[in-house]
Amino acid sequence: MNKPIFLSLSGRILAVCIATAAALSAVQAQQAGSIELKNIAEVETEAKDAQGKIERKRVPVATAVPGTEVIYTTTFKNISTRPAANIVINNPVPANTTLVAGSVYGANTDISYSVDGKTFATPDKLKVKGKDGKEVTATATDYTAIRWTYKGDLPPGKAEVAGFRAVIN
Amino acid sequence: MFYANLKRILALNLPICLIVLAGFCTSGVYAGVPAGTVISNAVTLNYSVGGVGSVVASNTASFVVAEIINLTLTVQDAAPVAVNAPDVSRAITVLLTNTGNGSEAFNLSRNNALPGDQFDPVNALAGAIFLESGAQAGFQANGPNADTLYVSGVNDPVLAADASRLIYVVSDIPAGVALGGLGNVGISARALTPGASGAAPGTTLPGLGAGGVDAVVGGSRATATVVGSYIVSGFAVTVVKSVVGVQDPRGGAIIMPGSVLTYRVVVNITGTGTANNLAFSDPLPLETTYNAGSIKVNGVGRTDAVDADNADYSVATRTVSARFGNTVSPASHTIEFQVTVN
Repeated sequence: MNKPIFLSLSGRILAVCIATAAALSAVQAQQAGSIELKNIAEVETEAKDAQGKIERKRVPVATAVPGTEVIYTTTFKNISTRPAANIVINNPVPANTTLVAGSVYGANTDISYSVDGKTFATPDKLKVKGKDGKEVTATATDYTAIRWTYKGDLPPGKAEVAGFRAVIN
Repeated sequence: MFYANLKRILALNLPICLIVLAGFCTSGVYAGVPAGTVISNAVTLNYSVGGVGSVVASNTASFVVAEIINLTLTVQDAAPVAVNAPDVSRAITVLLTNTGNGSEAFNLSRNNALPGDQFDPVNALAGAIFLESGAQAGFQANGPNADTLYVSGVNDPVLAADASRLIYVVSDIPAGVALGGLGNVGISARALTPGASGAAPGTTLPGLGAGGVDAVVGGSRATATVVGSYIVSGFAVTVVKSVVGVQDPRGGAIIMPGSVLTYRVVVNITGTGTANNLAFSDPLPLETTYNAGSIKVNGVGRTDAVDADNADYSVATRTVSARFGNTVSPASHTIEFQVTVN
């Protein structure tokens, strides 16, 4: 299953994981059977280091004002000894936030969206009613939920990451 | 004695009459999710191992929306408020809006000593700053719909997120200012959350926000200042009434019973501005009798009836009236009519 392209993507995302490892450690992981699932909300902060270089780092968000972009990261790991199949992740875009267009990612997954929280489809098939009552193609700001469908099996011990960004309304 | 009674409803500056209907209003500003809102997110994951389906839920990632402190002040007068010199209790109208996302109290102040103008308005004897009471649009110093005198630290306006309040900065105008003289007043509002006013945008004030959440100073630095202006327009309405003709019954010019007097009233508007609904009325002395059909306005005859022409005589009230509508200064109107001495 490990085609080179997936490896490179995973590598990048894993690097993000390492950067946020300290933050993640504070989050209680939910364990139920074979998959360990973690969810974290962070914000990116900028600070100048001793050399005056701007350093960006992510910190878990405790409070934030409207307009803040929040980074949601979901990590799922197969902690069993057998491959996990048919992995589907559902994540509602939190109430009072708006999904940032183009921010949704997830290696080795098919990503679909919903505007009603029930039916999921690719962006080209999602419709909403415009101001004039006519149906138009939905945009990221209309999406209320995201679904990642993992392609193939997740081998034992392997972790993957999916996520998105949302702005507080 | 003559008594000319000139009713004038003056709006010195028409655009000023763009008055927001109520003192309390909700503007279109969107301050965002209310402070204190909890935003939560949890993920579910379905999978199968060895052909057995299962579902797992993640932890819930939650955070609280902090209060952002922001405000705007906007002068509502479209042009400098036209005044006379001297003048009393003239209002500059300012709208204070809480553009943050939580309830906030604001302190108000004014600065009369701004440089770059021709005179300094002074705090009106009636009070320097008033808050719209909501009873009647526009500034009322007194009466049943009077606005509320603002006292710093006593009735600092508290505004919910997105809410606005009209504020009147009320001034007396000193005498001796030349026509066209401009007088500026600085009007300031600052959020009363300790440490907020003047702080750098992004400053976090832990626990000081609405409902005990963190407060964050917004781009306004929790303070706002605008400048309102007065302009001395010299606007004035004067009325001069005189007897321009006397014809006694014997062909002379002696005032005696039977003499016909021709009255002339000249209404002059000077300075800059508009007199709204300018109207003139003159109740006749009891010792005289009106000569039917004798009214002339600007040299043109008018009927006595209340009709399309702009002047009439009321038998019931023994009053000559003329109406000129909204009259832009400068303007002059001459009204003539005749009476017979009883």
